[in-house]
Amino acid sequence: MSRAGYVPLGERMATASEPLLRTLVRLPLLRWFFNTLGRFAISGRGAVVLVPYAWLLLFFAIPFVIVLKISLADQVIAQPPYTALVQWTEDTYLQIKLNLGNYLFLVQDALYWKAYLNSVKIAFISAFVCLLIGYPMAYAMARAEESWRNVLLMLVVLPFWTSFLLRVYAWIGILNNTGLINNWLIAAGIIDEPITMIRTNFAVYIGIVYSYLPFMILPLYSTLEKLDNTLLEAAADLGCRPFEAFLTITLPLSMPGVVAGFSLVFIPALGEFVIPDLLGGKDSLMIGHVLWDEFFANRAWPVASAVAIAMLTLVLLLMAGQRKLEEKAETAA
Amino acid sequence: MKRTTTALLLGLNLALAPLAQAEEEKVLNVYNWSDYIAEDTIANFEKETGIKVRYDVFDSNEVLEAKLLAGNTGYDLVVPSSSFAERQIKAGVFQPLDMTKLPNYKNLDPELMKLLAARDAGNKFLIPWMWGTTGIGYNVDAVKKRFPDAPVGSWDMVLKPENLAKFKDCGVSFLDAPGEVMTTIYNYIGRDTQTQKKEDLEAGVAVMDKLRPSIKYFHSSQYINDLANGEICVSLGWSGDVFIAKSRADEAKHGVNIEYVVPKEGALIWVDTLALTKDAKHPNNAHLFLDYILRPKVIAAVSDFVHYANGNLAATEFVSDDVKNNPNIYPPPEVKKKLFPNPTNTPAYDRLLTRAWTKIKTGQ
Amino acid sequence: MAEAKTTTAFEPWTDPNAVPYIEIRNVTKKFGEFVAVDNVSLNIYKQELFCLLGGSGCGKTTLLRMLAGFEEPTSGQIFIDGQDMAGIAPYRRPVNMMFQSYALFPHMTVEHNVAFGLKQDNVPKGEIADRVAKILELVKLGSFGKRKPHQLSGGQRQRVALARALVKQPKLLLLDEPLGALDKKLRESTQFELMKIQDQLGVTFVVVTHDQEEAMTLSSRIGVMNHGRIIQTGTPTEIYEFPNSRFVADFVGTVNMFPGRIVDEDNDYVRIGCDEAACTIFINHGVAAPPNAELWVAVRPEKIHLTREAPADARDNCVRGTVDGIAYMGDMSIYNVRLDSGKMIKVTQPNLIRHSEDTITWDDRVFLHWHASSGVVLTL
Repeated sequence: MSRAGYVPLGERMATASEPLLRTLVRLPLLRWFFNTLGRFAISGRGAVVLVPYAWLLLFFAIPFVIVLKISLADQVIAQPPYTALVQWTEDTYLQIKLNLGNYLFLVQDALYWKAYLNSVKIAFISAFVCLLIGYPMAYAMARAEESWRNVLLMLVVLPFWTSFLLRVYAWIGILNNTGLINNWLIAAGIIDEPITMIRTNFAVYIGIVYSYLPFMILPLYSTLEKLDNTLLEAAADLGCRPFEAFLTITLPLSMPGVVAGFSLVFIPALGEFVIPDLLGGKDSLMIGHVLWDEFFANRAWPVASAVAIAMLTLVLLLMAGQRKLEEKAETAA
Repeated sequence: MKRTTTALLLGLNLALAPLAQAEEEKVLNVYNWSDYIAEDTIANFEKETGIKVRYDVFDSNEVLEAKLLAGNTGYDLVVPSSSFAERQIKAGVFQPLDMTKLPNYKNLDPELMKLLAARDAGNKFLIPWMWGTTGIGYNVDAVKKRFPDAPVGSWDMVLKPENLAKFKDCGVSFLDAPGEVMTTIYNYIGRDTQTQKKEDLEAGVAVMDKLRPSIKYFHSSQYINDLANGEICVSLGWSGDVFIAKSRADEAKHGVNIEYVVPKEGALIWVDTLALTKDAKHPNNAHLFLDYILRPKVIAAVSDFVHYANGNLAATEFVSDDVKNNPNIYPPPEVKKKLFPNPTNTPAYDRLLTRAWTKIKTGQ
Repeated sequence: MAEAKTTTAFEPWTDPNAVPYIEIRNVTKKFGEFVAVDNVSLNIYKQELFCLLGGSGCGKTTLLRMLAGFEEPTSGQIFIDGQDMAGIAPYRRPVNMMFQSYALFPHMTVEHNVAFGLKQDNVPKGEIADRVAKILELVKLGSFGKRKPHQLSGGQRQRVALARALVKQPKLLLLDEPLGALDKKLRESTQFELMKIQDQLGVTFVVVTHDQEEAMTLSSRIGVMNHGRIIQTGTPTEIYEFPNSRFVADFVGTVNMFPGRIVDEDNDYVRIGCDEAACTIFINHGVAAPPNAELWVAVRPEKIHLTREAPADARDNCVRGTVDGIAYMGDMSIYNVRLDSGKMIKVTQPNLIRHSEDTITWDDRVFLHWHASSGVVLTL
């Protein structure tokens, strides 16, 4: 900043991050990167904006295109076990072979849409149960004394410090016929024969709700915590009973959190594989398992890819719907 | 004696190093099933050769195959089951072995090698590791309590719906391995075990449909723990896994008594085999390891530890009596005659099978 | 306004037979160890506009929140219209409050915000619409009914909050710093609007404010609070002209304070020796204080005359000083005068003449003099 006088706003902002940028630019690869960008008249700040796009390209767009490509190929016994889409024939002809059969297959066999439907059902019910359990918890946390909130928040996040797999395994020990619950109930003389819980849909719901509950609580907590308490006082002051105030004020204003929490549970639960595999029984048909079967048991990478693409489309459609809901909730708030 | 051998081998190794091994680093990457090797097998090899072994484990053929087909596994030696290895050979993921580097190859059981030749024409790619059967694991007391005259020792006990129903309350598990279960059923209902026909599959599915209501779950590893804990009482499972369950139950000492039986009607025999990946970076080290494994005493120690039979004829005399005289591990000749392998499935049949299996499992 | 009230003799607090509308009896509120409201007793009468005035943390908002029912007194009782409020939830009280932050429901339109309280009372739909429309007209927001709060300016939001509280036609309206967030012009017009509405609807207002000017213009009476106690209650004139303590004198308006001791007293006068003034200050009434007790004489800046020559009336109190600074305010000027003792004194003089060569200016030696009735003797 040796130049005296007026400094454009952009430059002033850039100076804040200057030391870091300068160090980064010194690295040869990054220098090349920034020089190239510079040639295309993209400033350092522009490059910062590019980072999320580069991230998306690298970890979403490219894998997506690869999966899409495989879904249009044919299954063969080879390494890799699918055909190439583009091939030179007779040295001069470029041949592109697209196999739509895999998608046709998904439509023809009832198994797939039943699995999708069942996954949507399980994910929806799980997300709903998460909401029912998570909302009061988030509410209590947001209303707790300030000194307690961080402790409670820590407790919510604490399970993440243990392996997800271990925690699901722990549920096997709890729900087994010879597990904790049944042992207690039998010891207490409440039941004579163990209640079958493991390897049922019930166990799958427990597993999903347990595993994803924090993803419901955190966004709910953050919206509820921001909620201005004087709004509830104002409602009470205007003659509104506490429960009614909850319905007319708290609930509508926490809708963004509800929508965010719901999709944070619903979307990963939709493709869940581990939980139904470990806790579920023979009835717990979910699309994640169908995909596993196609990929591993049938070695049908193309069909598996088609299943994945279809699922992604489903999720994107649901997310578009969710976005609409969120916008609605936001304009309402 | 042992020390001299080691010294000799080391000397040989050093002598050969500049020639054959060129610039191969002293590393070997092995990918084997979990709980499938003696505690000191690797350590002894490392001590003897100075080669550092990276030893990773998996627990399903499918996972191994997916890695192999994707390529660049980074492993030199892998251990697929022979029925899977056959397709993998066709896919070109392995390289043929150099038998001149395997002087101990002669120790292998010719009968087993003949069986393997059906998968691996000319025995070019595969070296047997262990073999076993797919039979019945059961909780002795729970079965006796529910069905005192249970036809233990016959497939009738689990493949007759009215019999299996008697164990529903104490828990029944089947392997989640469509090929093995269906082949077992074909054998039981008198169909060709190597069939690729749709009508045979349908007949097998009809049997499974009647069994399904009594089956608690289909899984290929969970049943080990569940049998040992008394969580389930009857399993259609792999011999070695049931023995693991048995030893875990014995260790826990909570009164669960597990047995494994190869039913008298015969059972599926499977062989897990060592194979050298095509992109292996340490083929010479791999051959050294293979020859080490082919030594009778080395493989006998593994059999003692994992309770599976090996395919090394010369090793049998070194296997402990407990193991080699157990008819369910080393079946007597009359039972051995009735063992049958998994068929080699066409992709079309494979798909029919998986689809049928999903239907069986989910009731959809 | 306060003047108008006094001319129509609206002074129920002087009538021993008048029944207070709000009766606060020995109310104390503690938060843990902290005493927010300390043994306050106060009567407020129907149609009053009562201001609770004090700095931040003086307990005025806590007292207001206890009236609304958001806090329960730790001890003591509150009666509204003769009814003991103990244990009565806010939504059952005949009270409405306008919050400092306005607390408008952000997800509802202006209309819905205003209609909210009526819906709670199950008022018929048609009537709700009528009353909402009428009250929005009253606060001059007739055409803003369909807007959301975030589409309104600060002043408009404040009026929505007022409309929302008024539409229920409460007998008692509580206002927490109602004009705090407004700019000066808007404040003034809103103040008068508030008073007009109060006249029209006959509501009793209790207003909490830290702004003494706001309190002076709005209220029928003011309660000055400090450290959880009410220090003085009285009309704006009483509070300004007859403060009962140094705190009140200092908090309401500007004051010059001379510490001193009685040197001579009788029934109808006292003389107070004051080192800082370098003279004895004469007060033309008796003082109930022990001889030799420390006292303070408070003199408002506008009550002091500033001249170059010695005052004509020798009975006036008179000290000498030098002009140290002048702030020209248009209607008047503020003079900072340094006494010979070094003490700084504030004096305001109306600018009666547009321009004069003879105006007192910097560094002039001046006489400061005030009437014997202008000083207030404070013992606290």
